Amino acid sequence: MDRRDFLKGTAMTAATLAASRLAYGQDKAAGTPPAVTGGQGVQWNKAPCRFCGTGCHVQVGVQNGKVVAIAGDQQAPVNKGLLCVKGYHVGLALYGSDRLTTPLLKKGDTHVPISWEEAIDIVARRVLKDPKGFGLYGSGQWTIPEGYAASKFVKGGLGSNQLDANARLCMASAVTGFLATYGVDEPAGCYDDLDACDVLIMWGNNPAEMHPVLFSRVIDRRSRGEKVTLIDIGTRKTRTSGFCDHSLRFKPNTDLAIACGIAHLLVENGTYDKAFVEAHCAFRAPSEPAALEGKAITFEEYRELLKPYTPEKVEAISGVPAKDLRMLADLFGRRDVRITSLWCMGMNQHTRGTAINNLVHGLHLLSGHFGKPGDAPTSLTGQPSACGTVREVGTLAHALPGGRVVARPEHRAQMEEIWNVPKGRLHDKPGYHTLEMWKRFSTPTEQGGDIHTLWVQVTNPAQTLPNTHKLVDPSRKLADKFLIVSDVYPSATARIADLILPSAMWVEKNGMVGNSERRTQQWFKMVKPPGQARDDAWQLIAVAHRLLELGFEGMKDKDGRFLFEVKGKDGKPVPLWDFAHYYDVNVDEHLFEEYRKTTRIKHKDLAPYQEYVKARGLRWPVVQQPDGSWRETRFRFAGFDDPYVKKGRDIQFYHSTTHDDRAQIWFSPYEPPPESPDTEFPFWLCTGRVIEHWHSGTMTMRIPQLQRAMPQAYVEMNRADARRLGVGNGDQVTVETRRGKLDLPVWVGGRGEPPEGSLFVPFFDERLLINGLTLDEHDPFSKQPDYKKCAARVRRRELVAEKQG
Amino acid sequence: MPISSLVLTLDASPERRASALREVARDPRITLGTPLEERWLPVVTDTGSLSEGEALAESLRDLPGVSFVDVVMVDFSEEER
Repeated sequence: MDRRDFLKGTAMTAATLAASRLAYGQDKAAGTPPAVTGGQGVQWNKAPCRFCGTGCHVQVGVQNGKVVAIAGDQQAPVNKGLLCVKGYHVGLALYGSDRLTTPLLKKGDTHVPISWEEAIDIVARRVLKDPKGFGLYGSGQWTIPEGYAASKFVKGGLGSNQLDANARLCMASAVTGFLATYGVDEPAGCYDDLDACDVLIMWGNNPAEMHPVLFSRVIDRRSRGEKVTLIDIGTRKTRTSGFCDHSLRFKPNTDLAIACGIAHLLVENGTYDKAFVEAHCAFRAPSEPAALEGKAITFEEYRELLKPYTPEKVEAISGVPAKDLRMLADLFGRRDVRITSLWCMGMNQHTRGTAINNLVHGLHLLSGHFGKPGDAPTSLTGQPSACGTVREVGTLAHALPGGRVVARPEHRAQMEEIWNVPKGRLHDKPGYHTLEMWKRFSTPTEQGGDIHTLWVQVTNPAQTLPNTHKLVDPSRKLADKFLIVSDVYPSATARIADLILPSAMWVEKNGMVGNSERRTQQWFKMVKPPGQARDDAWQLIAVAHRLLELGFEGMKDKDGRFLFEVKGKDGKPVPLWDFAHYYDVNVDEHLFEEYRKTTRIKHKDLAPYQEYVKARGLRWPVVQQPDGSWRETRFRFAGFDDPYVKKGRDIQFYHSTTHDDRAQIWFSPYEPPPESPDTEFPFWLCTGRVIEHWHSGTMTMRIPQLQRAMPQAYVEMNRADARRLGVGNGDQVTVETRRGKLDLPVWVGGRGEPPEGSLFVPFFDERLLINGLTLDEHDPFSKQPDYKKCAARVRRRELVAEKQG
Repeated sequence: MPISSLVLTLDASPERRASALREVARDPRITLGTPLEERWLPVVTDTGSLSEGEALAESLRDLPGVSFVDVVMVDFSEEER
């Protein structure tokens, strides 16, 4: 058999196994999960996909030190052997022609190569300038050990809390929603709900493009003849809409009115689940002054607050017909169907993000559509470890590992003990959240801009922060502000940095991540990074050690040992700061085992590292069984599955904010957004993603097949608006907001269709930076900005006359 | 010469399914596996370049009688980068 025949045979086996899963569903196929096997010199190993938060596993084929093939992992419960267009090209993300391979220091107008020793010394000396003004801005693409190292470096080492992450921009409102409702973060349900629901409601969500493998799980059920009702509630038509039984368009920001309207009908019709509510829920409303916990209200007060939200009133506010609101309320009022809600950026990137998250949880609680397979309110994440790293490790300005917060003395004391640092080392005041951190970095020091240096790892804020002309650009004109960027490609942020550190990515290093369904995943390094590119965690540890050498006491524990000390088999410390020795031990395993100790207080128990080596991820809490095995949990707070629910209880919200095992059903009123279209700026502008590119496109725009499929950004317009403006496909227009303007080609009749008076622009294209135009107004609790709605105008480039509404 | 594994989900209508099968079988770049439950067809594509493979997968998506195309594996070891 020659190599081609072998490859074709392997390919047919993979296709047949995947077809079997599609034809027979999960259970029948689960008994026959052979992985792609080696042969012909190709070594195969598992890894989660590098891109989104779905957490698909791929099999990575390596030959002669290079990734040469990618296959969907047949053994992975998340994707069952399937991948999306980005996933099956993920291997090529390593091989863009302009990988960063050496540290680069800005001198004049150019970046010049320097040694790693010099680069690490420069970073350390920027810390010493004033440790409290040194910020670390990380990512939901940090692996769990990287995020843990970052937290230990900043909070345990520098004794400050100037650490935040880009997940602030994508899921912070989901976090505050979970905390305000259940007292603890992250979804109770999991992807299994997609296999069991009768109704799937997507709130401002476009999984056909953003989480295609999850969406195909539901579409496959339909192909097998199962009835699943799909409902799309959004502000524009998307690829998802085309698959839906009901596709409802609402005016931006009015989703709160819709949710209140459904709750109103459930209460007034008496179709809410009285038994569930009486046993497991309490009621809550916004307080004065505003607080995440709000104030307790009675059921009667809740009912009164909802009374204005009649179907007719909600129709007038939202544009959704009263009959559709009644249809939704009727579905929630039925006990014989199972309902899953999905959401992502549409609900989270919202100046009322916490409130709308609370309201959707509230609908599920009020109607009892909770705690059974298929009955779940579930937020999805966009990054591979927004959950595992940012939310669970806690790489946010107010947080500590394992769900702790810096404001609570007992939490600080616990972490001081785990990190073995002197009492009082951890600072009690939260650092700056992302927008504030960047605002202060872009403000002159003498005017209160007390962040002098920012170290960015694994993210691209010059492209992804909102209102970049305010938050990023000014810093580049301030002589005493220093920007350090660790990245794999010369991203929009790297190009404006003072110091660039070349990073290893994905299977060029060991890693662990946590996906949207509480699944912690692990992989091993498979290929070497190019040139002098090195692991992000190594960079942190090397700077920590350089600080130690320079006499910075914070990098010692209370016994005088290096904060990141790891001992080898001979019992002697391994010089991890010397990259030649970094892989003498498995640093990930050491960091993870230390981190694992922090995860119990919120019942997010993790198994030992070696259990993840064997698995395609495990969903926490992972609890050891009497026979020594480790069991994952699919449905949290549900007595039939969650080991932390007391025996005999069907549901127990054991982290209840009211300490009585009850979840909170919130009322929050509809309020107009901070910026709405007017005569001067008559359009709504919404930004977002496309299937071909992952977030800012740093990786996917360097994959020729994806770049060719979606080569540049555009502005999507409604056909009627385009006609009035006298433009068609490909014509150049200028989109302008109160913050900036951008020239873009028009796309009419594309994959999406904004309603009249609305524009959509994707943010993947670094040549066409739409975030110079977006709004930096944010949710008061989560501090997450709203990228989904602001006022804009559009005009033909050739014409001076402005489009009037 | 990249090789890819795909699964085509065929239409519920037997006529449209048969028409899709005829079309797919005509393309020499495609090797057909055995359909499961008559509706899930594993195939292997062998194309001159990855972009040709992409275009082929895209054309299969648009083929009457094919309701969904899932890509399972792509080997790009011989692709020029």
